[in-house]
Amino acid sequence: MNRKKIGIHTFMALPAFLLFLIFFIYPLLRGIGMSLTDWNGISKANFIGLKNFIDFFKDKRAISDIRTTLLFALGSAPLLNIVGLSYALLMNSKFKGKSIARMFIYMPAIISPLIMGYIWSLLLQPGRGYIHHMLEKIGWAQGLGNWMSSYWSTMLVLILVNVWQYAGMTMVIYLAGLQSIPDELYESAKIDGASSIKQFKYITLPLLEPSIRINVVTNIIGSLSVFDVVMSLTGGGPGYQTETLSIYIMRMCYGSKTGYSTAVAIIMFFIILIPVIISLRLTRAKE
Amino acid sequence: MRKLATILRYTAIAFICMLSLTPFVILTILALNTPKKNLYEGNMFIPEFYFGNFAEGWVKSNIGRAMINSGIITLLSVALIVILGAMAGYAISRFDFKFNKGIYGTLLCCMMVPGIINTVPLYTLMIKLNAINTLWGMALVCATLSIPQAVFVFTGFIKSIPVEIEEAAIIDGCSWHKIFWKIIFPLLKPAISAVVILNGFGIWNNYSQAVFFLQDRSKHNVPQALSVYFQQFAGAKWNLMAATALIAILPVIIAFLIFQKSLMKGLMDGAIKG
Repeated sequence: MNRKKIGIHTFMALPAFLLFLIFFIYPLLRGIGMSLTDWNGISKANFIGLKNFIDFFKDKRAISDIRTTLLFALGSAPLLNIVGLSYALLMNSKFKGKSIARMFIYMPAIISPLIMGYIWSLLLQPGRGYIHHMLEKIGWAQGLGNWMSSYWSTMLVLILVNVWQYAGMTMVIYLAGLQSIPDELYESAKIDGASSIKQFKYITLPLLEPSIRINVVTNIIGSLSVFDVVMSLTGGGPGYQTETLSIYIMRMCYGSKTGYSTAVAIIMFFIILIPVIISLRLTRAKE
Repeated sequence: MRKLATILRYTAIAFICMLSLTPFVILTILALNTPKKNLYEGNMFIPEFYFGNFAEGWVKSNIGRAMINSGIITLLSVALIVILGAMAGYAISRFDFKFNKGIYGTLLCCMMVPGIINTVPLYTLMIKLNAINTLWGMALVCATLSIPQAVFVFTGFIKSIPVEIEEAAIIDGCSWHKIFWKIIFPLLKPAISAVVILNGFGIWNNYSQAVFFLQDRSKHNVPQALSVYFQQFAGAKWNLMAATALIAILPVIIAFLIFQKSLMKGLMDGAIKG
């Protein structure tokens, strides 16, 4: 095939790119401009330089939101990977009903995280949720207690609900990685007398690298930009305690602080970018 | 010893499955209770098999309309993602120009940028385009967010198709238009199903973009409609909330059961290639 011949067909990537340019890259660049103004969404915008960014770091609510977002990610992303990997190791053998089990475990991940948050709030409501009554019935008089009264227990519930929902998705990607490891490697390791712990450390983990990379990066991005679960489970409450950055952006945008909200979005972008680059570097360095 | 390990393994798997399913089971129990049933009394594990909640939830919430809206948005954007993504994947994998390489690189870089970041400026753009509160506008936004990943999957997949087929077609005097649509596109079935399933559920469930771009009640999608309906109860009428939540997740579960085989395959293939 003559690959140097230019025609319409060589530019077939253009429609997709144009769509992306208009609805993604253009707003992204506009956002950088907007973040330097005091625009409120309606009247004329004035250039105020880096004031929004300086204000952000003086804004107590914003700092609390960063703390909540980071705490959520620090709990959620590692736990999701550990749980997902253990599920995958458990499921990576031939047994009856394997595909049904895999289906059940994956099911929560297809449901809207917002709706899932509402469902969990029906079950977990302090003092009157279904699980509260169930625990009371089996003799646990305190039931769940009021987990919503403390910041840490509320965060713990948010993290656990998120891990519960996406454990199946993480598992499937680890399963795919496990199944691409040739059996011969394990067989020859067994002949050499390697223990199963050693097999895991020297065969499984290094060869799982691509799956680990995908899971770590997607879980970091997902947990740092968390929105739906928090909205439906706590609404950011009590007060603004469990509000995350993405909820803050939405509320500022509606609260006629449009310029400021884009500045928060740019700060959030760097908060996400840094751990993503670090984890990409770490996984690539070993190759 | 070996038997013990097998038993332990099965118990653990059964436990995990139960853990994943319990909320759905409890939801069903709650949805089948009469409004008067008190959770303190009687057997809380056996519902009263009262189906009135579903009818009431359906009528009083906006969920029917919202399902149509979510359906239209999902169909439109998935069609766009597949067609534009496949075209781009073909050009990028077959014509190794700087231009195409640049497009590919830009898209891959933007894959790491979460959608919420450009939502506010996108909102002002959508107002200018008269695309706020329109299903097509929302479909365009959702499609855009999925384009990088779709192009990535299609490019990888087309690279694995041998070029010889196309070369033979060129010698036979086949036009590019025909080569792409008649030869390449039908070969893309596995990649198409992966892209459709990977993005379809997310678009149906989208909330963080819908909050901005679909504010009119008649244009709400499923998560929004449920959210509005739930907020008016402030946690009071459980039977109704549970029944409506069940209605809301039912289409997704049915679609999942139908497509789960290709979903698992698509996810696994995608994972290995990534």
